[in-house]
Amino acid sequence: MKILIIEDEKELLDNILAYLSAGDFVCESASSKAEALDKLAGFDYDVVVLDIMLPDGNGLQVLSHIREENPDMGVLIVSAKNALDDRLRGLDLGADDYLTKPFHLSELNARIRAIFRRRKLQGQTVLRFNEIAIHTSNHEVLVNDSSLELTLKEYELLLFFVTNKNRVLTKQAIAEHLWGDNVDYLQNFDFVYQHIKNLRKKIMAYDGKDYIKTIYGLGYKFTDK
Amino acid sequence: MRLLTKTTLWYLVFALIMFTLGGIIAISMVRTVVNRETDYELRTTLRQIRNAASFENGLEIFNKSKSIKIREFPEGVVIKTDTIFKDTLIYLKRTDRVEPFRKLITNTQLEGKFYHIEISNIFLEEEDIISVVSWIIIRLFLFLTAALMIGNFLISKKLFRPFEHLLKSLDNFRIKNNEPLSTVATQTQEFQRLNQFAEDMTNKAMLDYQNLKEFSENASHEMQTPIAIAQGKLELLLESPDLTEQQLSLVHTTQQSINKISRLGQALTLLTKIDNKEFSSKESMDLSKIVVSNVANFKELAEMQGIELKEDIEPKVKIQIDAALADILVTNLLKNALQHNIENGWVKVKLTKEYFEVVNAGEVPKLPPEQLFQRFKKNNQSKGTLGLGLAIVKKICEVNGCEVNYHFEAGKHLLRVTF
Repeated sequence: MKILIIEDEKELLDNILAYLSAGDFVCESASSKAEALDKLAGFDYDVVVLDIMLPDGNGLQVLSHIREENPDMGVLIVSAKNALDDRLRGLDLGADDYLTKPFHLSELNARIRAIFRRRKLQGQTVLRFNEIAIHTSNHEVLVNDSSLELTLKEYELLLFFVTNKNRVLTKQAIAEHLWGDNVDYLQNFDFVYQHIKNLRKKIMAYDGKDYIKTIYGLGYKFTDK
Repeated sequence: MRLLTKTTLWYLVFALIMFTLGGIIAISMVRTVVNRETDYELRTTLRQIRNAASFENGLEIFNKSKSIKIREFPEGVVIKTDTIFKDTLIYLKRTDRVEPFRKLITNTQLEGKFYHIEISNIFLEEEDIISVVSWIIIRLFLFLTAALMIGNFLISKKLFRPFEHLLKSLDNFRIKNNEPLSTVATQTQEFQRLNQFAEDMTNKAMLDYQNLKEFSENASHEMQTPIAIAQGKLELLLESPDLTEQQLSLVHTTQQSINKISRLGQALTLLTKIDNKEFSSKESMDLSKIVVSNVANFKELAEMQGIELKEDIEPKVKIQIDAALADILVTNLLKNALQHNIENGWVKVKLTKEYFEVVNAGEVPKLPPEQLFQRFKKNNQSKGTLGLGLAIVKKICEVNGCEVNYHFEAGKHLLRVTF
């Protein structure tokens, strides 16, 4: 999967590159509008991560350009929080999704993969992790070819785990992924455990292995290592 | 009372005193003059009598006059001659009244004989003098009052125009609008100084306000990038292999703190943005829809906390508000109600055409209600909350002309936004 990250803040860019490169991404970056347009003219990308605030222009201009030249390219807009206008205009102009800063890198990863699945594979994709198969087109999960009865939140949780396999996911990142930014009023995110427990139970009921490793006090990691 | 009305009244009071004094002086002066004239006339008559005495039977003609009495002393009587003036009252048949008279009484020697002569002359009545003088004074006073009132009107129209204008602009001056004070040019020195002073003051205030605002804006905005970087680095750090549990815990605690700073910055930025009127698009929003969708969002979270979330929402309640602000308003009130709840508590959300109300079970507040909406005032300092949620609610209500009220009674917190 080939990705272009357009972000002018070098350290932020490094963070994103470091996180995503650990997966199966091929990442390129641009730190200005001009550089971005240059790269977009020369190469084809599956997904573009686009910061709205660029030193030499507005990211939305880049978005219009992408939509004119390449309507199939996935675009994820990144911008400051509470900039509702940017968000609406971005989605109007054909962005696939919108993420506000600051964000969890695991969330960025999940969003990029979701866009990729929708765009490039028209939703017809099966995510596999050993004996677990997730059919994202119809939200079906098979463990050893038996279908699991999952709630929507459990399904989203499993998908989040699998897209961020082998990575540490804090309880907060999980809570925010499942319930949105509104969870910020909660004192702790221990309730996440309830969903993890249920998911674990359901997978193991069909002889699936317990891949959800608890990292005490911090969160979880979905791994077979 | 208006300044001009006040000065006019003072003028009139002053004028009344002066006119009264003037009247008294005028009356006494008139009386002095009248006295002098009357006495002069009496003396003239006496002189005529004296002249006439040199003629044979010259005095007889005077004895016919009612106002002159001449009595001859018996021969050989020698008396001391003298002349006195006297005020007296005499009954007059003609007017059927007792009238004041001036009398000249003299004992004198004419052609070798001694006479007692009394000459009286009707005296101008004091009442008459007073009434005439008063008549003049009162009319003058009325004329002055009328003139002052007309003058007042003309002066306020023209002379006081710059002053009135300045008052009006000061009334309409809003520091947040960043528009300079409007004044009109004037030739009056005092008004020039006043205008200059008001302009300088307001300009300074606006500049200070702008600086402060920009500072807090920039500070909270510029904070976000480094925070995002730090957050990312910590997330990457969590990925490093072979971290001990203790190290992971350190990273995690740091993450939580940074997360809090980040939310703080965002909330402060939001407050300044509302202040800056960056959310000024007032559309007719279907508040019912917003409340319904928010309640649905929070229902699951509330359940996980063991809190029952009840709703009573009138459909199609529309108010004029920015879409983003409407959402933040509802979200913040819901979060607040869930946050300051008790175990197995409840939240009731009610929306009508007049108000939006969130009631929740909770402990007795430790803060006085009026402090609840202030920034960083927290009911429970130990909780990890920011203490900005209700400040934001209040600010949103302010810019949208709503009113927000808090009430606590019998274990129930009530927050109501009245449209």
